[in-house]
Amino acid sequence: MPSKSRREFVKKATSLIGVSTLASTQAHALSLTNPGRDAKDARYVGAEGKRFGMVIDLRKCVGCQACTSACKSENKVPKEKFRTYVPEYELGSYPNVRKAFLPQLCNHCAEPSCVSVCPTGATFARKDGIVVVDNEICWGCGYCINACPYDKRYFNPITNVADKCTLCAHRVDHGLLPACVESCVGGARVFGDLNDPSSHVSQLLSTFPATVLKPASGTKPRVFYIALSGEIQSLPYSNGILDDAVRKREGALHKEWSSKGE
Amino acid sequence: MDFGSLLHTISSITPDRPWGIDIPNYFWFTGSSAAAFIISSFAHVFGMKEYKPIAGFSLLLAFVLLVAAPMNLIDDLRQPGRIINFFFYGWENFPTSPMKWGVLLLMAYPLLILAEAIVLYRPYFTMKKGASYTKEQEEKDHRLGVLLGAIGIPLALSVHGYTGYILGAVHAIPLFHTPIMPILFLASAMVSGTGLLIILLPIFQKFFTDFKRIDYAMMQRLARLLAWFIVIDLVIRFFWLTFAITFNNEEKYALKLFFGENFWEVLIVDYVICLLVPMAIGFIRFFSRSLKWVLFAGVLSAIGVWIFRWNTVIGGQSIGKTTPFLLEYHPHVFGFDSILSVVSNWSLLIALIAAIMALFPWDKEMANYYTKEQ
Repeated sequence: MPSKSRREFVKKATSLIGVSTLASTQAHALSLTNPGRDAKDARYVGAEGKRFGMVIDLRKCVGCQACTSACKSENKVPKEKFRTYVPEYELGSYPNVRKAFLPQLCNHCAEPSCVSVCPTGATFARKDGIVVVDNEICWGCGYCINACPYDKRYFNPITNVADKCTLCAHRVDHGLLPACVESCVGGARVFGDLNDPSSHVSQLLSTFPATVLKPASGTKPRVFYIALSGEIQSLPYSNGILDDAVRKREGALHKEWSSKGE
Repeated sequence: MDFGSLLHTISSITPDRPWGIDIPNYFWFTGSSAAAFIISSFAHVFGMKEYKPIAGFSLLLAFVLLVAAPMNLIDDLRQPGRIINFFFYGWENFPTSPMKWGVLLLMAYPLLILAEAIVLYRPYFTMKKGASYTKEQEEKDHRLGVLLGAIGIPLALSVHGYTGYILGAVHAIPLFHTPIMPILFLASAMVSGTGLLIILLPIFQKFFTDFKRIDYAMMQRLARLLAWFIVIDLVIRFFWLTFAITFNNEEKYALKLFFGENFWEVLIVDYVICLLVPMAIGFIRFFSRSLKWVLFAGVLSAIGVWIFRWNTVIGGQSIGKTTPFLLEYHPHVFGFDSILSVVSNWSLLIALIAAIMALFPWDKEMANYYTKEQ
């Protein structure tokens, strides 16, 4: 009977699908974290016992953007995306004005708001505090990009997932300095282990008053600034100033998101 | 000296913003679905007889909206092929990632509505098969229906409430960051859901039933319900904005900038045209007796809530976190997360409505209430 054989077919197909689903589940295994961390891959664990961070001495920053370009070439950061950059500010009013530079990168927060919202466990903090993204797990929902109060995450147009500064973990794991630190001409960027009281970063922090960006966001950043001007500490909301030349160069209206000029 | 206004960022870059036009559309769909379910529960769970005739129709509408809604999310993903990763990995973030709760709710809720719809229409399916439908069976199904409805109400509230959590949890964006967001989203959802029902009900009653008659009393009742939902929505928005803009910490500067720049879209279009006008139509008998005015109110409020979702999702992301002023958003016309995506999603919704309404005997069930009256 056709109806009976159809029923048989449905039964067999269902059991086959069931078995294969179970099998594939066992192969992947449900994970609290992600496969790389489960396997204790060295790149996912990092240096245990250490707590990496950075101190940026703004008295020494000359705004040369060597860090910006070193980062771009070291990490092959795609066009128009940045892991670190140095915005310039004009403070004061004429004739008493001065320029300020504010090198920015991922703060590798102790309480990263980007990590806690990640629904796939693709982004996480290593044991040494470096916050990274597993670009083979991330499904590109963008929740972390919105959750970061510092605008330090972006979609990588090549991998099509969230991407960010890794403090050059691939270099740090081999005892090298991050590219931005290595290239800093004024010696403004200092990298090191915050757990080690004799490290340069710890000594700087115990010698000079240092502060972080947007302390009110509660993320406990691990990038500290010496001589950070109070006016720019909270990266305050300000009126539009981008001039038309910049907007035109950026091709503002052809892009999905663009800065709004006046 | 006011330092804030003297700041200049000279070499500014445009930071990334992940969520595009799909997301407001998704919020509108889930919200309207939750509202349609609650309206159907007026009769099914709370026993309000006057809503009985539309309870089944509204339940099916809730189902269809929630089947179409998640397509927006999948389209918004940059790596939609990796959906399975969601289920396998990252469970340690469950307590802190509302997105994690959402996907589970999005699977459970439509299944529950479907079960309820099947129970509700079982007599018609059994009779079609030629089998008899006993009194005993009827009582059992009725109890089961009430139970499913009772479970469904918190589920419907959660399925839309969690979307408010998604935004409310983002403390980096001042427009999102408020604990009132889930309630605010639910209140506006009731407005859009009622609006959608007002648009669809007369079309289906007039053209797709045997009795071919629009229930004017019901339309007036829905218009009044819409007006009350708008009142609740406005009250919640009042509390939200007064606290967020007046008594807030530094977030208030961002909000003042945002609402100052978007004064026309937010206050005039959304609040006055799309909320106050439909509210007036619902409350003033002269207008609510006229089908045309009620339809107008339904369309306005449905569009208004869509604009509210847009203003919240896109507007919130437009606020600069490290860059000056606001960002602008221009959705792509084609491709992922584009205008075409949203149009396709609406087409899918219409196709699904047609399919589900053809499969379920909602018209025969609805006819019961009208033929008895005559």
